[in-house]
Order: sequence, then structure tokens, then C-alpha cells
Amino acid sequence: MNLTQRFQRVLQRNLTLEDALPTRMPVYVDSLAYLFGAGSLMALVELVASGVVLAAFGPSWYHHRPVGRFVNSLHFWGVQVFFAALVLHMAAKFFMAAWRDGRWPTWAVGMLAFFVALFTGLTGYLAQTNFDSQWIAVQSKDAINAVGGGSIFNPMNLGQVLTLHVVVLPLVIVGLVGVHLFLIRRDGPVRPLPDTKAAEAGR
Amino acid sequence: MSARSERTLRGIPTKPYDLLLEGILVLALVMALVLVLAALFGSPDSPTVRARDVARLQPLAFVRTTARMLAGSSALSGYGPPYTHDPANAQRLLGVAPANWFGVTEPVAPARDLVLAPLERAAVLDPSLAAPLAAFRGATVAQQRAWARAYLGAVGKAEVSGARVVVPPGAYGPVPALMNGMLRLGRSGLLTGALEAGQRHPYALDLSRALLFFQGSVDHAVARSLNMTGNRWGISHETGPYPGAWWLWPYTFLYQVPPMASSPNGDLQVVLIVLVALVLLPLFLPFVPVLNRIPRWIPIYRWIWRSWYDRHR
Repeated sequence: MNLTQRFQRVLQRNLTLEDALPTRMPVYVDSLAYLFGAGSLMALVELVASGVVLAAFGPSWYHHRPVGRFVNSLHFWGVQVFFAALVLHMAAKFFMAAWRDGRWPTWAVGMLAFFVALFTGLTGYLAQTNFDSQWIAVQSKDAINAVGGGSIFNPMNLGQVLTLHVVVLPLVIVGLVGVHLFLIRRDGPVRPLPDTKAAEAGR
Repeated sequence: MSARSERTLRGIPTKPYDLLLEGILVLALVMALVLVLAALFGSPDSPTVRARDVARLQPLAFVRTTARMLAGSSALSGYGPPYTHDPANAQRLLGVAPANWFGVTEPVAPARDLVLAPLERAAVLDPSLAAPLAAFRGATVAQQRAWARAYLGAVGKAEVSGARVVVPPGAYGPVPALMNGMLRLGRSGLLTGALEAGQRHPYALDLSRALLFFQGSVDHAVARSLNMTGNRWGISHETGPYPGAWWLWPYTFLYQVPPMASSPNGDLQVVLIVLVALVLLPLFLPFVPVLNRIPRWIPIYRWIWRSWYDRHR
């Protein structure tokens, strides 16, 4: 069996086209709580789109031109919606105990994506290039330096902050989200918890 | 369906579903929400603190900040790694100081790099600075600091005369002349350039020195005026009436809690608590007894899957 055939076999075992782009769902997938993940994913799409425009035109444009300021506002509010949806998504998955039946890797990769998103948010605040950036740079450096992180990340180095925020971290997030989505679609939605109330009533 | 899906969803009734339609609808909703918020509220953009503005508007704060560098009493003096060779001052916990493992990777000598080096550059254009600079360099470090401390003590009684700060007579050596030279450099708008001109790679975008210069009382005064010091929830405010990084509240809140609130090792303590309680614990929560049972005790899941439970009642 050659490499391509092996890869085909892996896909057949784990992720067919119907898994990747489902046309049917278990009937218990019937709640607004399932939309929070999609909400954070779509906010990420909005952030990448508005971020690409901001990166293309640069800081002077988004500070001083009305259109630039508006795109900057789209990015700013996109971050707020992204984290709001993400926190709701994480809370919903916690209260669903969504890690059951071997789904811890999905949980863990999602958590890692969240942690990287937090760092991306920090670099975003630093990349605003206004007083907020100055203040956060000098305030955040102490925690970073205390654990020795100052030797690899300097929040006052705009060159490093910009490249991290615009290139490196989005790639890492998109990669982690890709793995997260693969695991979600591979394993399918977790079954509902046993209905303890009904069990007690029938006892 | 894949072999795995067949296994995991066996026996579960299904219903028609359109992934792409759902994605498009959610995207449209998110875009509409963001568009409305951006159109209604815009985004925060408080102007940067510039050396020129501080020198012109707050000359006493400017010279006080500068004199502290010479006196060795700035927040940067004796900071420890990664800026200065003061390993004893690195934050530590149980005798362990992680900052010392990596050493001084961003060396900054406050008096030399943030005051004397810019003044030497200014002296090329302003020859009156040459003699005070030579006098200051010719003195011992103890003498230099004594002059600067005496000057700092007198700044409270100083008067601003035009573009000069005039202190009452005292034993300040050449410090008043140096401070007024820095003030002129600051007012000219050339100080930031003079600070960054000394960095290792001149084409870099590293703004460390310019930012470190005003990190103390000047930045704090501006942050206070913008309600950004975060006395209750920590520093996660945005400038103006905008939501800040509220998702960092669990982290910034720790700075309000003893002993971190007042400990010189507070940053290290907070980071370690965050690493254990907010990173490792959530990551491995499914394996943590008690915590992994909480969802079963709080019946939010019953609301999420209510149609399923109704179906099987």
C-alpha cells in the first residue's frame, strides 16, 4: 500500500466528506449553545479579514484616515465578539462535559487555541501604537521578565510585536483551530449526559 | 460516514442539517453585530505620550524623571535581568529566580543610555552641553548620584522660566545644566530619536528605550487621568469608555489580592498561579476528580439537551 492509499484509508476511517461537511446531525444537537463555537469561528474569520486590510495599509492609515479608523473599529469590536463567543462556547462545553468518550484531545487543542488567542490579543493591544500600547507594554513587561520571558519576547519591540500579531500567531491559531475542527468532526457531537432526573423519577 | 462516526453515533436518530447555511447565517450575524458596534462606537485611540509634549507641558515631571536616572533611583535602576546586571533584584519564589537563568539580554544602563548618551548627541548641536557633560563624567559615581539626589530634592521648589527649570542654589554640580539640556532636547522632539539611535540595530523597530524612559511617574499620571491603573480588576481597562481585555480579569484580579498586591515578587507569584490554576488545571480538567463532576451537579446540561430529555421521557 503506497502513501496515498494509506492517507485515503486514514480519511475513510476518520473523516469522510459527510463527516467534514455534514448534512445530518444527531437530534440532540438542538440548542443555541451549539452556535457559540460557530460564533467564535466566524468572529475569527472577521478578524482575519479586517486584520489583513489593516496590515495592508499600516498604522498611519488606521490612525489618521476615516476609512482606516473604521476598519480598526471593525477589528476592535471583532475581538470583543470573538472572546465573548469563545467564553460562552467554553462554558457550554464545560457544562456539557464535552470531553467525555475520548474527546479530551478536542478539549485540550481548543484550550491551547484559547491560550494562543490570549497572547494574540496582548500583541494586538501592543500593535495599536497609541497610549494604550505604551502603557500595556511597560506594564506587561514585568510579568514576562519575572519568568525569564523577556529574553525571547519584548513587548516594547514593535517589530517583534507586529510580526507576531500579523503573521506568526494567526497562523498558529488557524492551525490549532483546524486541528480542533478536525477532531470535532471526526468524533461527532458528544452524547447527552444521562438524565439523572428521569432516572430518579423512575427509581 | 467514517467507520469512527458509525461507531460513535450508532443508534442515535439524526435530522437534516446544512453546515454551510448555518455557517453563512452565523457569519452574517457576527458581521452585522460588529458593523453596528463599529459604526455606533468607533474604537479607542488615545494619543501616545511623546517626549516633546512632556517636556513642554510638564517640564518638572520631565526633569524629575531624568534626574532619577542619574540618581540611580528610577524603576529601571537595579531592575535586574533582562535589563541590568543586578541578579539579586530579580523576582524570586522559594529562592528561585527564573529571570536569572537567561541573564541580561536587553542591556540598558539608565544614566548612560537614557541620559548621557542622548546629551552627547545633543552636544554636537548644542556646544554649551560639552563642559557640564565633561564635569559630570569626571566625577565619581557616588558624587554623580549625590548631585542628582540633591537636585531631585530641589525640584519641588523649582521654577519654570521659559524653556528652563531653575532650582534654588545648591550643591548640584553640573546637573541643572544637564537637565535643562535634556529639556531642550525633549522640547525639540529629537529625544526619542536620540534614545533609539543608541540601540544595537539602528534599523530595528525596538522602542524599548523610549518607552522605558517614561514608564514611571509620567506614564502613571497619564494612565491615572484615563482611569487605566485598574485598582479593582487590574490593568485590563481600555482608554475611554470602551471595554478592555475583560477576558484577562482572572489574571489581573490576582494583582489585587495579598500577598501579590504588595509583594516585590508579585509578578512571579501571579504568573505561577496563572500557570497552575488557569492553564494546567483547565487543560487537564477532564482528569481532575471533583472538578470533572461539576457539570453533573449543575443542571445547565438539562437546558441544553432539554429536547432530547423530553423525547425520552
